[in-house]
Amino acid sequence: MNTKPFSPYVPRPVTLVEKTKLSDFVTRFTFEQDNGKPLAHKPGQFVNLSVYGIGEAPFSISSPPRRTHNTFEIAVRRIGAVTGALHALEPGAKVGLRGPYGSSFPVMKFVGKDVLIVAGGLGYIPLRSLLFYQLRHRDEFGRMVLLVGTREPKERIFVDEIADLAKSGDVEVLETVDMPDETWKGNVGVITTLLPKAELDPANTYVAMVGPPIMYRFVIAECRKKGIASDQIFVSLERKMKCGLGKCGHCQINELNACIDGPVFCYTDIEAYQEAI
Amino acid sequence: MTTYTVYKEQLPLLFEKWSEQYALYVPAKLREGFYDLVPWKKEIEIAWDFDVAYNSPKRFLLPPRETLITFNRKTCEAAPVFEAPAQILFGVHPYDVKAVNQLDQLLESGAPDQNYVRRRAATVIMAYEPLTVSPSAFWATVGAATASHGYDLYWTKIGPASFTVEVGSARGEELLAMGGPLLPSTAGDKEGARRAKARILFKARRSGLRYNWEETPRLLAKCWDSPLWRRYSQMCLACGSCNLVCPTCYCFDIREESDDHLEQGIRYREWDGCMLESFAKVAGNHNFRPKAQDRYRHRYFRKGKYIYDKIGELGCVGCGRCVRACTAGIANPLKVFNELWEETAHEH
Repeated sequence: MNTKPFSPYVPRPVTLVEKTKLSDFVTRFTFEQDNGKPLAHKPGQFVNLSVYGIGEAPFSISSPPRRTHNTFEIAVRRIGAVTGALHALEPGAKVGLRGPYGSSFPVMKFVGKDVLIVAGGLGYIPLRSLLFYQLRHRDEFGRMVLLVGTREPKERIFVDEIADLAKSGDVEVLETVDMPDETWKGNVGVITTLLPKAELDPANTYVAMVGPPIMYRFVIAECRKKGIASDQIFVSLERKMKCGLGKCGHCQINELNACIDGPVFCYTDIEAYQEAI
Repeated sequence: MTTYTVYKEQLPLLFEKWSEQYALYVPAKLREGFYDLVPWKKEIEIAWDFDVAYNSPKRFLLPPRETLITFNRKTCEAAPVFEAPAQILFGVHPYDVKAVNQLDQLLESGAPDQNYVRRRAATVIMAYEPLTVSPSAFWATVGAATASHGYDLYWTKIGPASFTVEVGSARGEELLAMGGPLLPSTAGDKEGARRAKARILFKARRSGLRYNWEETPRLLAKCWDSPLWRRYSQMCLACGSCNLVCPTCYCFDIREESDDHLEQGIRYREWDGCMLESFAKVAGNHNFRPKAQDRYRHRYFRKGKYIYDKIGELGCVGCGRCVRACTAGIANPLKVFNELWEETAHEH
């Protein structure tokens, strides 16, 4: 019998198996759970990752749920202490993991519906989990439309993967950048400029969006203008998740804890909260 | 509920016996106007008439710094650390018992915080009816004058040398019995306790909320855009003193340090405060509550609405510690709530 006392603050070891550069500052990390079990997450959830001696930080899971495989992916921007230390790791290195934590995109609600996925900046990272989960069950959904917005062409991530998605015909992909350079031939402007091009059927469309804080207000307003109901809009909100257990107080959005009540919220449920959007 | 009468001369023996098994803390005067629960010593003079312990009892259950895990950087193995000293807090005023009850509810709900749960289980709380009221306190008007549970024994001073002691737990009764045969309180002693309670309540009600405390969440729901938040917060030094002294503030940060060989390390939690500038700041320097006004309002909403919506009680027990701790003189739930009430008076 395992008599080791339980504490929700104790991470379990996972091993880095692959590291892929996505852009100047963003890298994809594939980890393997040392316990051999699948992570058993749902699209939209996050994990708390520990680089011991540096600290612990929350990361969205980027891979779709895998029932038979003990690997999972995150994609990380090098921007602080923990993310910097992560980037310095090489395959074979171990880190600590807690989670998965938080709410997820209600995929069952999307069945039989059109799904609009709005990915601003690094927002594609968590949405990728949802997207590839849906693609595994492609027949169960209507149209799948992916909007990708990036500040500059050189900041685009998962470029080949997104191009392959567009080619496959399973997903309608629309892309834009805010500030083009000479290499960019596509749409220019903020992500809301893509919405009119998507020709959505508002009554039949569910929306999943992740992006920088500023994005939500504008995209939600556009969706509402198109006639998409609030309860068909799902957002994932980033806050300073620390404990992951709804205790430490850092990730509060009014009275909600982003770590246990979120990060994925139905817009209807947060419309009234001043600190949400 | 069983109530016993205990005489002052029985206390030295009781304290002596308790201190053999527990870390025993009793109220004492630190200097004029400042009291605290301090480790008991034989010669200590107990401050029976203390108005408020300047530092709240949360520090016994959620220490300012507490190790959560140890880790090995090479193997990436981690193990939990639990410290739960057997301790007796003698002389906890009812509003502080209420505050502890609130911490119990919030930290034990959902994924129970095992470190807290264990410390709490090892802690004996001996409540004590206050004899004086701090000038900044208003507990009698926020529903925190009495605690119906959360204590092992409840002491009320009914005369110069006598107490009634209400039993709140079997553990409490056993501890009391360590002093010899127990003397059930007479009807007269119980009446004495009732009167002592009435006397202090009368004093405590002199200053307080001008409305029924249960209206606070509804009041705040109307006041998000009140000019009051700016008026008060523009003097905020963002020092977090109000968070530190608050018996119900329990937000914490998680940090870690490694040994000199960078092999072993500990991860610990440390009190944090929502009034500090960096509290809601994420990597990349995006701050979700950048302005003092956002943080100040958040704290009052948490005390007056968010906690209430979760557990049906105010997150403020009216101890008045923050009022005294605030250098800028702006931390004052009583003033804030009363002023908001007046501001919206035409709507009532």
